[in-house]
Amino acid sequence: MSKTMAGMSSLSVKNLKRKPGRTIALVLLTAFLALAVFGGSVVVLSLRNGLQSLEARLGADIILVPSEAQSKVSFQNMFLQGTTGAFYMDASVTEKALEVPGVEKAAPQVFLASLKADCCSIKIQVIGIDPEKDFTVQPWIARSLTGELGDLEVAVGCKVEADIGEIIRIYEQRCKVVARLEPTGTGLDTAVYCNMDTMNKLLAAAEAKGISHKITSNDDSVVSAVYIKVKDGYDIDTVNTALTGKLRKVTAVRTRSMITGVSDSLAGVSRTITTMVIVIWVLAFVILLLAYILIVRERSREFAVLRLLGASRKMLGRMALLESAACGLLGGILGVVAAAVGVFAFASLIENSLGLPYLMPAFFSVILLAAGTVLLSVAVSAAASAISAWRLSRVNPGTALREGN
Amino acid sequence: MKKQIIPGCVMLVLSLVISIGSFTFLSPCVHEDGSVGACWWAGRALLGLGCLLGVLAVLTLVSGRARFGTYLSSIAVCVLGILTPGTLINLCRMSSMHCRAVMQPAMIILFSISAIAAAIGAWVSRRDK
Repeated sequence: MSKTMAGMSSLSVKNLKRKPGRTIALVLLTAFLALAVFGGSVVVLSLRNGLQSLEARLGADIILVPSEAQSKVSFQNMFLQGTTGAFYMDASVTEKALEVPGVEKAAPQVFLASLKADCCSIKIQVIGIDPEKDFTVQPWIARSLTGELGDLEVAVGCKVEADIGEIIRIYEQRCKVVARLEPTGTGLDTAVYCNMDTMNKLLAAAEAKGISHKITSNDDSVVSAVYIKVKDGYDIDTVNTALTGKLRKVTAVRTRSMITGVSDSLAGVSRTITTMVIVIWVLAFVILLLAYILIVRERSREFAVLRLLGASRKMLGRMALLESAACGLLGGILGVVAAAVGVFAFASLIENSLGLPYLMPAFFSVILLAAGTVLLSVAVSAAASAISAWRLSRVNPGTALREGN
Repeated sequence: MKKQIIPGCVMLVLSLVISIGSFTFLSPCVHEDGSVGACWWAGRALLGLGCLLGVLAVLTLVSGRARFGTYLSSIAVCVLGILTPGTLINLCRMSSMHCRAVMQPAMIILFSISAIAAAIGAWVSRRDK
């Protein structure tokens, strides 16, 4: 039995080699299917991961920003695309916010857009945090840095290509990189983080270069945003309204509304990609089906001869299925490799183009997805050839050979 | 003969894409103020390597006995092309920048395919040497 199987496998391989044009066409068609499924799935998974990461990184219920901030820069773009922005309000906002009933924590942050840095041609967002009060960025930094950020020490987002121990210059201040943060798939990956003492030095250096952060002539105690955590049991909307009422010239942004906006865009993109993948699959399956049906006419004499030589119907059917499965396997592997090269090598380009949080799935998930796609390609290829395999196995040798003459 | 020159044709097409791409769609970062960064020099080096690969590809098509050696030299040029952006010449330090998001991965892929083509060419023309 195993000898017969080995013989059939070898005959199938010979058949595939004998008609290279037909084999290449079938392999390429299956590769296209695999490419669409694997590439599309990785992009959709990355978008979902990005949204989860954005939710985890924001961590706050409400963000307080100066009223003019909304007109200066899209707050959403700062988080999603790393757009730089700097706006300031009085630092007393933090203490005042804590007086509002329902506010559990208030963490101030100071933003500073660097000048064109010595490393590259774009501005970098520098974010100053207060490690004692911060509950949004600090846990993320703690995963990469065991101690605390010291003076003129910075932690860089994963997209800033600077090694630990390297010195980067911001407004002529030499800052030492002490940590590289884990990817979040958001605009936060392009920022540089420091403590408030370092930020004050950078603000002074910026002042010396003519970039003022002062909101009054004798006041240099400023913050850009205050992240608010609402106590359990309190309604976030009520606290939001109370904060807006108490604090003048300050806008309270609910993070949920920001995430909902992103989530809606993401659902739209995911739906489009999924629909495209389904359409490609249906079309390619129909083309494969037609291709295999046409092959029946072409190969009926070949199978008639095999029948005359003693091959059973079962053997012939199995041989036809084996050939299509082999094409499916080759095409599946080829498609997965091509899609992997595209989606992984150009991940930054895809992220920039989509303008949405984009975080690649874990290695194990990618391997599972690749294996699943290859199996699916084999199954679809075999399913498309099932009808032709059945018809070929039932070829009447006499009729087929007479028709040939 | 046909088998021996097909890899050369593939290399020629890819070298054209590399050379033209290095100052068009696969160019280094475009600076708003007209200044140049490290990635600009990487782009120039890639243009040179693309042209060199093109010349070697033409040589594989016209030369008979030297074909094997020309394919081997092409592999060396491709390795240099893979290492140039980011390893031998620095690029911008933000991975969302054009030089890192587009130029580097595209050039690595193009030079890698060229290297594979050159290796196949060297294999099929190994008896000519």
